[in-house]
Amino acid sequence: MTVGLADAQDEYAPLLDAVRGIRWPSRVVVRGGMPGAHTSRVRGISAEFTEYRPYRQGDDLRRVDWKLFGRSDRAYIRLSNDRAILPTMIVLDASASMAFPTGTNGKWKLAAQIGVGLAAVARNSGDPVGFVIAGREDALMIAPRMRLSVLHEIMRAVSLTRPDGSAPLAPSVSIATQTAGRLVVVSDLLGDADDLLTVSSRWVAAGHEVLAVHVIAPEEIDPPRESVTVADPEVATVRRALTSETRDAYIQAYGSWRDRIAHDFSDAGVGYATVIVGDETPEHLIRRVAAPRAAGVSALQ
Amino acid sequence: MTFLAPEYLFASLAVAAAIFALHLIVVRQPRAGILPTARFIPDSQAKAVAAARRPSDIAVMLLRMLTILAAGAALAKPVLTHARRPTARVILADVSRSSRDTVALRDSVRAVYRDGDAVVQFDSRARLLAGNIGDSVGALRPGMTRGNLSAALIAALRAGSGLRDRADSLELVIVSPFATEELDAATDSIRKLWPGRARLVAIGGSAVDTAKMVGALQTDAAPGDPLAFSVLIARRVVRGNAIIARGATGSTGVAAEPPASGDPREARTLVVWPATDRPRFAVRRTPSDTVGGVIVGERGVVAPFIRQWSYPPDSLRGAEVIGRWYDGEPAAVEKPDGTGCVRSVAIPVTPVGDLVVRSDWVRLVAELSRPCAAVTALVRADPAAIARLAGNGGLASRDAFQPAIDTRSPLAPWLFALAIAAAVAELFVRRRKKGRTAESERIPVSSFANPASRVKTA
Repeated sequence: MTVGLADAQDEYAPLLDAVRGIRWPSRVVVRGGMPGAHTSRVRGISAEFTEYRPYRQGDDLRRVDWKLFGRSDRAYIRLSNDRAILPTMIVLDASASMAFPTGTNGKWKLAAQIGVGLAAVARNSGDPVGFVIAGREDALMIAPRMRLSVLHEIMRAVSLTRPDGSAPLAPSVSIATQTAGRLVVVSDLLGDADDLLTVSSRWVAAGHEVLAVHVIAPEEIDPPRESVTVADPEVATVRRALTSETRDAYIQAYGSWRDRIAHDFSDAGVGYATVIVGDETPEHLIRRVAAPRAAGVSALQ
Repeated sequence: MTFLAPEYLFASLAVAAAIFALHLIVVRQPRAGILPTARFIPDSQAKAVAAARRPSDIAVMLLRMLTILAAGAALAKPVLTHARRPTARVILADVSRSSRDTVALRDSVRAVYRDGDAVVQFDSRARLLAGNIGDSVGALRPGMTRGNLSAALIAALRAGSGLRDRADSLELVIVSPFATEELDAATDSIRKLWPGRARLVAIGGSAVDTAKMVGALQTDAAPGDPLAFSVLIARRVVRGNAIIARGATGSTGVAAEPPASGDPREARTLVVWPATDRPRFAVRRTPSDTVGGVIVGERGVVAPFIRQWSYPPDSLRGAEVIGRWYDGEPAAVEKPDGTGCVRSVAIPVTPVGDLVVRSDWVRLVAELSRPCAAVTALVRADPAAIARLAGNGGLASRDAFQPAIDTRSPLAPWLFALAIAAAVAELFVRRRKKGRTAESERIPVSSFANPASRVKTA
């Protein structure tokens, strides 16, 4: 099935309109670079004065405040804040486990909307946006760009993608980190969560920002009560009987796993957010992820 | 074909049904589905118990059911021909004087009688009909004797024991008018001995209300006759056309109209109570004696009476004793006379003292003047008493009756052994006796040696 750009735009147009005013400030001080909206750790020479610093050998003499030197007979360097752009990479998990529930593909649709929405928010903030769709072995990667067409490419790529395969996310994340200052992973974390955590924590330690958006279907939290033999779409060997006897144990095990994942990611400095299909609108989810304070949430949950 | 122990068959049917139900329950894989988080489910056997519309393994199931049913049928003791009928009846046919309608009696008994039933005809005594019962039923005829349901019920119990081995359930059928006089104090107790309900078939004439009897008590006693005082007082309580004749023959000076319509309520009761002459049916008692009291019905008088007359047994043929002395001898008898009756009273009326005005004596006179037995025999019993006769519950089970077989004595084998021992002993005794006889008849050799002595001896 061929999906045209117009179809993709029609699909995501309401979402793009809804997130138009959202800003997505960086949670960390970004490195220097092209002028942008995020506070840079580089003290530049912009007109926005911050402080004076005594002159040290090697400083550029053009940054000495000569008027102050004339008044105080001491040489000071005039410092000002610098702002830079923050290249953002969004990694969207397109593995087979995202195609759930089977009839509606609710997890995939919600993940795609979150990915496109966050990309639009970043793009509207003037940041370059890239996109990685990791499902099969050959992941689709769109390099971070600031042009408007990047959103079109992202929407078109997402619309053409059908969740399938069981490729791990960690390699895609590693590749994405090479070109991004901010990384967002939208996934159900049912693949290589531990490897993903390792890569993410390493990236956080390097001073970058990583967000993990955990997509969960309500049927996974509260599965149907009828006896059914369920199979893992990514691991063919996993076939289990979900009966009244095993249901309680499943709920408890899955809940414990979610708690552990949230705890580990948070401990590693990774922003972690849980989104449940059907609980919130995509717009609110994006606000909660991009601007927690603006959405009335003090921290990512 | 029936079964002597059907509970085994029922149990096998239940087991077969359970087998069928078990074959409807199949263990199958549950419906397959997709769950990305399936890895969190504990690894267990992916099977589920479900109900199927069609039984599984039909051949095996049929073999199992056949095995169980065949075994159950074998244990249930099947019989091709049943030795007992489902129901047999013990029919009590009332041939007392209360049953006046012969046709109704025969028709009612015929209607309920089936081959193998027992028929007991009763009046004052009960007799079990034997032989060709159908013909006997056609010859049933009410007599003039008072009926007694207690005796009939006892005979029914005996007949029930006789039918015990021929039917599974026994039904008691009573064909009777159920008159008051047929019930006594023992009837209820005896009726309770029959374990089950009874079917009551009411026959006979309409009930007679003695309170609506026509006529009054009259007497031809002379004004100075002490009995006249008693009659005068008793007249207030006596209902019916009764005449007390003080003459010996019973001819009265009272103008008593004979019953014109044949209505029992107009039946005349003639009480022949001679003042000094011989009462009818009685003979002189020699010598006279005295007795301390007399009873008529439920009324009794305690007083010294000089007994001058007695009723010989021949005179009681066809009569009913309605009064007795305290020692049991008849003091008054009643014989039917057309629609009415004649009563002969041999109770002397003592002119001395206040006997004739005593209340117990007056009640006794009134009792002697009550309507004839032929009339009171038509009075229907109390509905409550009839209901107690009918009883409730189901039919009587055969097990409730004692088997009509003789109980073997444990002495029988010992007696048989004793007989054998006696026979053997008799053999020895006989042989020994035979030996003695031969020895006594032996002639000594010496006697042959001396013939002279032998002659001498002779």
